[in-house]
Amino acid sequence: MTGTSADLSQQSAVHRAALPFALLLTGVALLLSTFGTDYADLGGAFSPTFFPRIVLFAWIGLATLATLVEVIKGDDVGDARFGAVVIVSLALLGYVQLLPVLGYFLCSAAFAMVLLLATGLRKPVPLLVFSLALPAALVALFNHVLVMPLPVSPFVWWL
Amino acid sequence: MLSSVPEALGLLLTGQGIAVLLLGTLLGVMMGALPGIGSTVAVAMILPFTLTMDQAPAVLLLIAVYAGSVYGGSISAILINTPGTPQSAATCLDGYPMARRGDAGKALGWSTIASVSGGLASALLLILAAPQLAAFALNFGPIETFALILLGLTCIVSVSTGSLVKGLLAGMIGLFLSTVGGDPITGEARFTFGYFPLIAGFNLLAVVIGVFAVSEVLIRVAANIEEEAATVTFNGMVLPRFAEWKGRGKNLVKSIAIGCGIGVLPGTGAATAAFISYAEARRSSPRAAGFGKGEPDGLVASEAANNAVTGGALVPTMALGIPGDAVTAVMLATLTLHGVSPGVRLMTDNPALIAAIFIGFLFINVMLLPLGMIVSKIAAPLLRMRECYMLAAITLLCVVGVYFVRGNPFDLLIMALAGIVGFVLRRAGFPMPPLVIGMVLGPTLEISLRQGLILTDGSFAAFFTGHPIALALTAAALMMLSLPLWRWAGARRRNG
Repeated sequence: MTGTSADLSQQSAVHRAALPFALLLTGVALLLSTFGTDYADLGGAFSPTFFPRIVLFAWIGLATLATLVEVIKGDDVGDARFGAVVIVSLALLGYVQLLPVLGYFLCSAAFAMVLLLATGLRKPVPLLVFSLALPAALVALFNHVLVMPLPVSPFVWWL
Repeated sequence: MLSSVPEALGLLLTGQGIAVLLLGTLLGVMMGALPGIGSTVAVAMILPFTLTMDQAPAVLLLIAVYAGSVYGGSISAILINTPGTPQSAATCLDGYPMARRGDAGKALGWSTIASVSGGLASALLLILAAPQLAAFALNFGPIETFALILLGLTCIVSVSTGSLVKGLLAGMIGLFLSTVGGDPITGEARFTFGYFPLIAGFNLLAVVIGVFAVSEVLIRVAANIEEEAATVTFNGMVLPRFAEWKGRGKNLVKSIAIGCGIGVLPGTGAATAAFISYAEARRSSPRAAGFGKGEPDGLVASEAANNAVTGGALVPTMALGIPGDAVTAVMLATLTLHGVSPGVRLMTDNPALIAAIFIGFLFINVMLLPLGMIVSKIAAPLLRMRECYMLAAITLLCVVGVYFVRGNPFDLLIMALAGIVGFVLRRAGFPMPPLVIGMVLGPTLEISLRQGLILTDGSFAAFFTGHPIALALTAAALMMLSLPLWRWAGARRRNG
């Protein structure tokens, strides 16, 4: 089912304004948090919330303006492979979380494979060789040549 | 400054000093030649490796990578019609047509000589102008420093490509991020919400690498761009003969002057300088008809100007502690990491370090010639490499770099989150340099404002009575801020 051009234009304006609006809400929430009892009330420039409040007021003003501009006449963002971005982003978050536990080599090899697959590399030999060779080279360089140790795996001391 | 030269040479003429100058320039040229990396990502990727170095080699490594990458961008612009860095976009206009007609080696020769000339002239400007500016800035107290940082922040207006409102908002986000953690006066924790790792604040380097390098990887993944393989024949660089320079000297000098002048202005950038210089050369060249078809004058104009910007941009950075763009912001962050406070006292407090940086910068520009000849041969086959390998290498190196800053896994998480948020913001048209500039200048802006208000018993009006320098700097900041409004009003008037 397709919408009318007015519906689509309205839908597009909502999509464009969503991010500036989310930033506006974030700014308001952060500003409200400065009025709680968490901070000592020292008054004027001595107060720890003095400078952040100025910044957050400006943040809110600019976010409001950005939201209005997007609703009125923003540019549509082009199509993108968001599925691949979500996969790579999740892999990246997993990578940095597991790195201290499983070591640099294992995590990096796994992440490199995911990234190469997500960017369209389908040939198994280059995929495997690159995913294993680059982290191995970096581990060899930092752990054994420069003696600046990266996290090692609990399974083998040299990787 | 002259009295510090022997000590500066002592800092430079060490194994580490010479190695960083050579290796940094080499790496910079190679990274600049690879499309998609760019000067900022190159400098951000190299920064963590400086942590184990002394102050002088650490800063020189970054400057070498910066200057090398600006030149390196011309290699891919000429050989595959894809500028390795945005600064070399104008180089494609005449460089690639020259390469297509079989003169790739000659095109690289012209661009190399122009780049070296531009870089050397800007190094002289840096050596002559920066100490004068720094000596003047020594009269600054907290109120003048506040006004100066305010002026520095207005460069957000010029680095905000696309929407000015979004650029300013990104700058505010950067300023806010700089306030997270301990309060500089009372020591009270701010915006940590009980989460202990946030007490030390956001690690600047993790955020910089996240918003520039990691977000760039995600943007490339989203776009799935694959560059075409090089189609030109290249058998090594050929330097132009002396006779071929006849009638082109004026164009070279004019382009260098444009680059140096624009470089000193915070936030204008090498890409702007290259295009302005190219347009001026096209307007005034007797060979204007050949522009766009492989005319060396076009190549000389673009490359001399973009390399002349490098030294110019370092003038306010070194003399005043004001970063003109994202690259110089990263350099100031490096100084902080090495225990050097950027600001108006930088040159007075560290004369040997600054002299070493100046001498090193001259050396780097001289080195561009031989290294350019070597790297262009090596880079030509590398440019055919699939982009996905480069993306994986960038991410893995970023993780290594951020991990080495403090060995803190929390920084890695910040880097990843900054990358994802940076991707979302960049997709929505938010420029990232303002965010980094806000984060770098935020702490000084806050402390100088609060100290100034404490000195004047809370009277902001007293900032401008009896402080003529502060008044002049604030007026300049307001003018910079209102410039886009003037331009907009002018454009409306012209369009009726």
